[in-house]
Amino acid sequence: MFEIRFVNSSQIKLVGRLDASQAEAATAALKSLSESATADCSELEYISSAGIGVLIETFKRLRDLGHTLTLANMTPRVRNVFAYAGLDKVLRIE
Amino acid sequence: MAARRFPRSTTALTAVFGFVAEFLTKEGIARERAFDLDLILEELFTNMVKYSREGKEEIEISLARDADGLRLTLRDFNVDRFDVTATPDVDTSRPISERKAGGLGLHLVRRIADRFEYDYRDRVSTITVWKRL
Repeated sequence: MFEIRFVNSSQIKLVGRLDASQAEAATAALKSLSESATADCSELEYISSAGIGVLIETFKRLRDLGHTLTLANMTPRVRNVFAYAGLDKVLRIE
Repeated sequence: MAARRFPRSTTALTAVFGFVAEFLTKEGIARERAFDLDLILEELFTNMVKYSREGKEEIEISLARDADGLRLTLRDFNVDRFDVTATPDVDTSRPISERKAGGLGLHLVRRIADRFEYDYRDRVSTITVWKRL
């Protein structure tokens, strides 16, 4: 299961497993972000390339609006996936 | 060894992950190992679903203990040849504006798996992956 909790207009929390079966719904939900936002990933248990694709697209969409998306508090396993993808240096990860 | 067939849809992923968890429990392997196995299987399974659209049959996944780890095998029946090991790797030095998710899955499999091979005969695509424990 995967869930996006909207804390406020600039704070969200990603919870659960962001796999290919969740990618379409996650992309649609993240379209409601229209300003710089921070995604707390402390409870993001799993991510695949499909999930990374969702976050890349959201990052690019916000950047085109002059905003940014920061990914915070990743677990080591999830962070490793971003590192393998070569994205740990180009996305904003705290 | 355990083998099971799954419908060619991303909605089958939950069942695939359940199959992995069941196998690890049965073999007495720590659940923490599931992350890498789930990732490898998701990327290869969804690749078959996306790119072998002519396929109509369920995809078979088998898991087995090997000499120093696990052997994961995916078999896709009555499909055209698509050698996943021959696809170009993602250029991770490209800026974010030029980065897409496409191709990233196999890139991740290459980083996480210890070895993976492709075989094609009698219109059956077989991908075998070895992962040390």
